[in-house]
Amino acid sequence: MIRICSTDDVVPGEGLRITSTVPPIAVFRTEDDEFFALDDTCTHQDASLADGWLEGCRVECPLHASTFDLRTGAVDEPPARLPVRAHEVEVRDGEVFVTLSTAVPHLPPGVTLGAS
Amino acid sequence: MTAAPDAGVSARVSESLLRTLGGADYVDPAVFAAECERIFEAGWFCAVHASDLPEPGSFRTVQVGRESILLTRSRRGELRGFFNVCRHRGAQICTEPSGQARRSFQCPYHAWTYDFDGRLVAAPNLTSMPDVGREEYGLRRVHVREWLGYVWVCLAEEPASFETTVEQEILDRLGAMSNLEAYDVASLQVGRRITYDVAANWKLIVENFMECYHCATIHPELTEVLPEFADGLAAQFFVNHGASFGEGIEGFTVDGRVGLERLPGLTSDRDRKYYAITIKPQVFVNLVPDHVIFHRMFPMGPDRTVVECDWLYLPEVVASGADLSASVELFDRVNRQDFEACERCQPAMSSRAYADGGVLVPSEHHIALFHDWVASHVR
Repeated sequence: MIRICSTDDVVPGEGLRITSTVPPIAVFRTEDDEFFALDDTCTHQDASLADGWLEGCRVECPLHASTFDLRTGAVDEPPARLPVRAHEVEVRDGEVFVTLSTAVPHLPPGVTLGAS
Repeated sequence: MTAAPDAGVSARVSESLLRTLGGADYVDPAVFAAECERIFEAGWFCAVHASDLPEPGSFRTVQVGRESILLTRSRRGELRGFFNVCRHRGAQICTEPSGQARRSFQCPYHAWTYDFDGRLVAAPNLTSMPDVGREEYGLRRVHVREWLGYVWVCLAEEPASFETTVEQEILDRLGAMSNLEAYDVASLQVGRRITYDVAANWKLIVENFMECYHCATIHPELTEVLPEFADGLAAQFFVNHGASFGEGIEGFTVDGRVGLERLPGLTSDRDRKYYAITIKPQVFVNLVPDHVIFHRMFPMGPDRTVVECDWLYLPEVVASGADLSASVELFDRVNRQDFEACERCQPAMSSRAYADGGVLVPSEHHIALFHDWVASHVR
């Protein structure tokens, strides 16, 4: 488990892109003050889900409107076809900790591990 | 060799008359471009009604001078105006005249995506260009303000003074701002909107609106309701002069029948009066006891002007579903009569016979002030 950021770093209803991980992840803070973490890059094209539209327990990719479940990373409809990985989150003393998934990430064409 | 029969005429006109602008001022693309640059893209321009943008992401695109302007509301409901130009390769972001954006404005070409504050929120591969500033490459903003229930924009880097331009026009016409405030225009709702696509230069339309020499000839219905218009004197010449309804006229309607519920702020001296205001360069306002008629002109080219005209009533009148047709029809007819006259003039503007322009009779002399105003901006 690694410390990712402080809770105050994430605005309620928004996401924060974290580039210290490989690949980058997005930490989301819902309006209900729950925290979630997904791979940040949409599986369809290189776009940051942290910049997406957060509503309830889903985030909509800002480019082509596929939405991903914050709890599972599952995608609802094309153009994205593959899920993003969901990471386990723990909030302790105002700090956000994440256990990165060990699954193989689904990155879009042209994006490779290590590219930030 | 004999002189041409009209030689020398251009040098002077009879004492009663003043000269108009020359015909070329109404057809020359270079003149129109200068007017766009120095007038429409420089000063305050009345763009849309605030109710045209009911919620975040509601949008209208309007032509202001040579620019397409995108108007919307931010996620917090604040008015926003942008140049409708993608910062990437210049594609027009919104091609529809109006609509509702769901989450953002996305360029249909390469999907550069802007939030309702104009900030660049996403673009393909943007994450690999961290040096591309989201504000720096956001949509270019224009100045926006709301007044009389309308959204006004100013495309200048430093906005013009609203007080010494727009508000001064009201003072010049009505003498005091309180004379307009009595109508509480901002509280009224659009009961009806009619858009006219007029094949005439915008100045012909302004000039037409400013004078009433034509009223008895082309506006039979209006002259029935406002008999003093038959004298040809301008309703807009005397400060705070309102034209009185004729005897037996019960309302500002096509046949003089009773109108809708009277605006509550009016004193009895305004109960049977019509006031007309020109807010240069592109707004005309008519005030009558039960409604307000609000015209916005969009000059599209030297020989084409789109006019959006709103009939504004009390919210309860609009909500009641009351029949507005007799009320709307009066000024709709006036508009059609006026625009037909303007369209009749437009082809003659390029005639050799009109190269030096025409003349203004005394009841039209104040139109020369409008010509001076245009010249002071353009020359």
